Amino acid sequence: MNRNLPDRSLIREYLLGRLDTKEEEVELQLSQDIVFNDEVAEMVESIEEEIIEDFLDGTLDSADKDAVDRYFLRPPERREKLRFARLLRQHFEERHDFVERRFDAVLPPGVHVMPATLEIRSAVPWWSHFRTYGQLAVLILLSVGGLIYISSIRKYQARLEDQLAREQQHSASLVQEAKLVPSSMVPLTLVSDRSRGGGQIPEIEIKPITQRIIVEIALQSHSTGPFDIHLETTGEKGPTWSAHLLPLISSSGDARLMFDLPVQDLASNVYSFVVLSPLPGAGRPKHYDFRVRLAK
Amino acid sequence: MAAQEEKRKLTAEAFGKFLRWLSENDELAVREYQRIRAKLIRFFIHKGCIDADDLFDKTVDIVVGKIELCAEYPNPLAYCYGVARNVWHEDARERKSVTLDVDVPSPEHPDPKVHELELQCVERCLDQLSPGDRDIVSRYHGEQGRDKIERRKLLADVVGGMNALRIKMCRIRKELRICVVECTKRLLN
Repeated sequence: MNRNLPDRSLIREYLLGRLDTKEEEVELQLSQDIVFNDEVAEMVESIEEEIIEDFLDGTLDSADKDAVDRYFLRPPERREKLRFARLLRQHFEERHDFVERRFDAVLPPGVHVMPATLEIRSAVPWWSHFRTYGQLAVLILLSVGGLIYISSIRKYQARLEDQLAREQQHSASLVQEAKLVPSSMVPLTLVSDRSRGGGQIPEIEIKPITQRIIVEIALQSHSTGPFDIHLETTGEKGPTWSAHLLPLISSSGDARLMFDLPVQDLASNVYSFVVLSPLPGAGRPKHYDFRVRLAK
Repeated sequence: MAAQEEKRKLTAEAFGKFLRWLSENDELAVREYQRIRAKLIRFFIHKGCIDADDLFDKTVDIVVGKIELCAEYPNPLAYCYGVARNVWHEDARERKSVTLDVDVPSPEHPDPKVHELELQCVERCLDQLSPGDRDIVSRYHGEQGRDKIERRKLLADVVGGMNALRIKMCRIRKELRICVVECTKRLLN
């Protein structure tokens, strides 16, 4: 089917404008192939995107970079493609950073167990409010005492006020930091399948602002996959969501599945991710249960 | 500084004549016109032309002028492509004498509000993809550095090789790009 497809590196040269003057016959043939053969045209588009990716990665050599600047990026359509590629990267980088921040904040290194629900607000330590209130109480007491010992207390009070101001500033910055974390995503980590369970199943709260659940399933096997995953719930005949995924393998060989799940069709209920390896001898499917609670 | 030529517009009369040449059937004529347009615009973009639309209009103008001669031409695309090559050569000659400052594309839309809307639309449009496509695009962009290369190799094994993955990603990105443009327009109105 693709016996007569041109060489990718030749197409790359073509797209960088290097055949226009040097190899006119090759250029003529390739131009015709692109116009009259849809398969070649699609291949050319994919190489065009590859050049854009390399440009964004900064992996082009100086000659290619020069050709991109002077020739490839002349048409506004390509500049728009480049801008979109950057936009898409920015989206995934922000999401990646969000997941990293959340997991780094909660999990000590090497520990894979995570509570079912992670509140965004938990970025502000709960005790910080008590500390602030404590400082306030001390401040009030000292102010009363200050009526009797004004002269000796003044310095102490000033110091405490300064401390309180710093504390409040710290709390405000923590609150601000918490606001910066996009709350449209909720993490869910599942480590025990139904056969190993027995305890309470993990629960997540879906707020009106929540759009997706970032799911991580720690697999017991060290298989490199792929895996079929279905989302099931009681009362539904078939799976409500399914995907075919590869696991992430850590340097120590631990395998985990990471994906995101849109929340729009979820209701307050118990759900189960059914994970099955289609490879021969992979064994029975594993069920990872969790409960969804819709917040009003 | 480059002399600013007034942008050409294909006249209604010329356009009608061109459509009739493509087919007597209106629907078929429009479909064929769109096919020829898409291919020739891509051709001009591949050739680094700055205004592919304008060059296509120029091509159609020339073809319309010669329609009497090529009335029996069996393959309109091939005829138009031949003319388009001449138009490109002429454009390239004119370009040589003019130095153009190519803008380095800005990473963000100049209006931060629009940029924010675009990011929201990326999120929405990703939701509209099929779960399989969403998974591929998430994994393709999901890792950094060496992990990225390894991840893409594994992903390529699943979809049938690296070239198949590139073409798959190209289709998904195209779908996303169209969706994001439309979504942003909707949110701005």
